[in-house]
Amino acid sequence: MFVLPGDIIDPSFVPSHPKKALRLGPGLQHAPPNDIIPTLAGRLVTDHQKNAIRIETATGRYVPRVAELVIGTVQRSAAESFFVTLSDYTAPALLPHLSFESATKKTRPQLAPGSLVYARVTMANKHMDAELECVHPSTGKSEGLGPLTGGMVYDISLGFARRLMMPKGGIVVLDEMESVGLQFETATGRNGKFWVNSENTKTVIAVGRAITESDTQSLGAEGQRKLVRKILKEMS
Amino acid sequence: MAASVPSTALPGAILGSTSRFNAGAGTHIYEGQVVSSLMGHVAVAQPVKPAGPAKRLNKITSKDARNDNGASLATLSVTRHGQKREVLPDVGNIVLAKVLRLMPRQAIVIIQQVGDTVLQTEWQGVIRTQDVRATEKDKVKIYESFRPGDIVKAQVISLGDQANYYLSTASNELGVIMATSDAGNDMVPVSWKEYKDPETGSTELRKVAKPN
Repeated sequence: MFVLPGDIIDPSFVPSHPKKALRLGPGLQHAPPNDIIPTLAGRLVTDHQKNAIRIETATGRYVPRVAELVIGTVQRSAAESFFVTLSDYTAPALLPHLSFESATKKTRPQLAPGSLVYARVTMANKHMDAELECVHPSTGKSEGLGPLTGGMVYDISLGFARRLMMPKGGIVVLDEMESVGLQFETATGRNGKFWVNSENTKTVIAVGRAITESDTQSLGAEGQRKLVRKILKEMS
Repeated sequence: MAASVPSTALPGAILGSTSRFNAGAGTHIYEGQVVSSLMGHVAVAQPVKPAGPAKRLNKITSKDARNDNGASLATLSVTRHGQKREVLPDVGNIVLAKVLRLMPRQAIVIIQQVGDTVLQTEWQGVIRTQDVRATEKDKVKIYESFRPGDIVKAQVISLGDQANYYLSTASNELGVIMATSDAGNDMVPVSWKEYKDPETGSTELRKVAKPN
């Protein structure tokens, strides 16, 4: 069922559970006492097991949310933090100099403007600029976060990025490429960015093309496999 | 008897000698005379008798000693007609301010009231994170202390620079006194760090001032 912002949702569509309270996911707002109003345009998805309801959208501007992983571009360095761009024409997010693995006041990371970082959002609210971190707060280890060197970053839609980061998102492109024998590493940012790096430049281009075309053409699993075969044939 | 003090004055009018009067607001001292700086009415404020010891057996006083002691002279002041003197926030004053915006290390506020006087001009103030609380100053998160639109009771700690006064809420009686929730309702304080929205039941974090 597709909804537009402000539509009235039929109460029969809303799941109910005897024990769990109804959880509203992204795109829905609760207007007390009983109304649920969509704030985004998209498909209304209900999950009866978790008693959750949300709106799935593919496009749109990324709004930072706490604990999401994003790929940002360093814009400049200020006194205590880097200014990192997460999406075009929006205020940059702040990434403190000390939020990197084994960073102290004497040994700060040197990131030139234009370099990529894989970071987690620590604070995001409508009153202030978002803040990021490249280190796990309690262990102090980076756990995969930090600067991304080499490779290439591609733009993808927000919905595709979400599916890539889900365990069962239905994206088989990367598995197909891997099964053929290509070796590469990837990172996905929830803000609509996909990074891929490999020793072989052709691999980077092939993976990037496969991802972006699966996104723009909205391919299903079978379509993705055909696309991968086509790209590999053209590349070799 | 010397000439009596005039009831109205123009800038530059001589009001009296400094040996007989103290110079109050709207006046200045020039060549041993109290001279008016403004155009307006002249007011003479009688001195408050300082409470001294009841009896001093060994104090020798001369005839003119009382006039030489500045505390017992009357104070001359000149006020403009029909206009209350604008109060400026001074160090130590308790002010009410509205939070304008939040930055990572400070909150920008607009000072709207000094003590009991509502200001005609709005002055900008800054509350830094180290001045929000008295304890655990380095762990303060500005988003959990204030939100834009809150009314805050604070104390002026410094006259600051050209743009801002510096304020502090590091006391139990200082902090947010009025807050609005995300849903748009007025909230009631429940503890030193939480406000509660009575309609939706949700709580929000603030640095709450102790209600008196």
